[in-house]
Amino acid sequence: MAAQATSAAAPETDAAGLGKARATAFVTPALLLVGAFLVFPALWTLYLGITDYRLTGIAAADPQIVGLQNYTDALTDPQFRNALALTLLFVLGSAIVGQTVLGFSIAWSMRAVPKTVKTVVESLVLLAWILPSSIVAFLWIAYLNRDNGTLNSVLGTSGFDWLLGHPMLSIIVFNTWRGTAFSMLLFSAALNAVPPSQLETARLAGADTFAQFRDVVFPHIRGHVLTNTLLISLWTFNDFSPYLLTAGGPNHASETLPVYIYNSALYSGELGYGSAISLIMLLINLLIAVFYLRLLKDRRS
Amino acid sequence: MSTTTPAPVEQPTEPGPRRTSEPPRRAAMSRRRRKSSDDQAARGGPLWALFAWVLTLLFFAPVAWMVLTSLHKEADAATNPPSLLAPLTTGNYGLLFDRGVRPFLINSATASILSTILVLALAIPAAYALAIKPVEKWTDVLFFFLSTKFLPAIAALLPIYLIVKDLGMLDNVYTLVILYTSMNLPIAVWLMHSFLAEVPREILEAAEVDGAGLLRVLWQVIRPIAMPGIAATALICFIFSWNEFMFAVNLTATRASTSPVFLVGFISSQGLFLAKLCAAATLVSLPVLIAGFAAQDKLVRGLSLGAIK
Repeated sequence: MAAQATSAAAPETDAAGLGKARATAFVTPALLLVGAFLVFPALWTLYLGITDYRLTGIAAADPQIVGLQNYTDALTDPQFRNALALTLLFVLGSAIVGQTVLGFSIAWSMRAVPKTVKTVVESLVLLAWILPSSIVAFLWIAYLNRDNGTLNSVLGTSGFDWLLGHPMLSIIVFNTWRGTAFSMLLFSAALNAVPPSQLETARLAGADTFAQFRDVVFPHIRGHVLTNTLLISLWTFNDFSPYLLTAGGPNHASETLPVYIYNSALYSGELGYGSAISLIMLLINLLIAVFYLRLLKDRRS
Repeated sequence: MSTTTPAPVEQPTEPGPRRTSEPPRRAAMSRRRRKSSDDQAARGGPLWALFAWVLTLLFFAPVAWMVLTSLHKEADAATNPPSLLAPLTTGNYGLLFDRGVRPFLINSATASILSTILVLALAIPAAYALAIKPVEKWTDVLFFFLSTKFLPAIAALLPIYLIVKDLGMLDNVYTLVILYTSMNLPIAVWLMHSFLAEVPREILEAAEVDGAGLLRVLWQVIRPIAMPGIAATALICFIFSWNEFMFAVNLTATRASTSPVFLVGFISSQGLFLAKLCAAATLVSLPVLIAGFAAQDKLVRGLSLGAIK
């Protein structure tokens, strides 16, 4: 942050003698690649979304412009509204409640234990984050298996299929387990910055744990809470991995937006319709992103 | 994450009344952590310890089960509760190679390693120029990179699928290399910029006064300082590429498929032959586990830095 502030104050100091020309040459290749493979496809989504493009058949060879048809279809389609509602539930349950609460609890409690314990616990939580989602999905499928899964053995509910009976709960718990590490690390760093002397003072003044948290800890970590909430909400919103657990089923009961796009565009072949929904998702993302970047810039200046 | 002081020796926790009678300590900044951890431990040690155990179980048990089951015979893996002490065997792994897991692993390695090298080659110069800031308004360029992190991958998938199909590049591992490179570039630029912004400008100015050329500055001044940052960035990019599933499953078929795709296919073809599946899962996660644990501290630093800054 300090270096940031210095360089912001004197934007034109060219400390290393890099020069504009060479600096531009340094940045351009990366910009071009990102432009070609991230920004350009996003723009093409805009075009695809107003066509009746299909994966196979006549509309694949000669797609027609259908205007806003796909968008009106989407907004009146109960399936789309279902997916949107499920996505919001997924974000609320697994990111905002699950990961944030669990991540904070771990970060908070690990201040109290010896350093070795803290390191071990943090590594194990990180383990869940490092593993490929395909593997985490497999572990959960085995764990929730109706016949010989561990959960049914523990609860004595052999024969119950969790992925069919409680699909949303399953993917919410799955995503909480997998993603908690990020919140934990972030809050762990944030809590290091809370001056213990202030906590001490609050305690001496007779403040209980909740009051200490509200009046001393929270004001210090507010920025981190915000950053964390926005980032994990975005990731969860765009996360495709629920597909690996339930594929959106049974009967669309866990079909979040990315899974819905996949199912309608690549499974049913309605590329135009899928693109329109992609663009709606993109707009929701942009809204959150603009909000986030503005906050970030405010914090820096 | 890390404090500059070495970890103090843990004092025995004292249960009982709060230490309100103790005169307030004149704790120096360097003793901050110790003080706070003492206070916390004095208040709720056993409870937090229990919580730590529960967490360990919650997060480690599934992975431990996976590794252990992968070393069991199929018959032992099927028992319920799982037989922990069953004889160990590496037979399942041999079987995986008989089933042709090798090309998938090679594809994954190619896509991850090549894209990581490309990302570094492109991101380091870009981040360096952005950190040194010889051009006005480059903060906007930086924010442009950051903003692409907000593009949902699923939205890019459909146009990319069509483009790749038209170019005849479906089922080609180099398609994945290029995609993973552009996917990880914004994160890498952002991370490297955060690291390079911490290089003291005085050092750079001194080097220029001494007449060091650009290459010498980069190699002799920047490189040693930036090495941990480069390592963290490389690790994160490697892990992201190795784990990527959505593009891999949709853009490849037989020749260029990566190991996560192999695993998912294997699950549906093998039902719940647990030992075999666990061996496959362990094998596929091994590279990222090694990468993660070899440099956990760097990874943690990279993640925190990337998010907070």
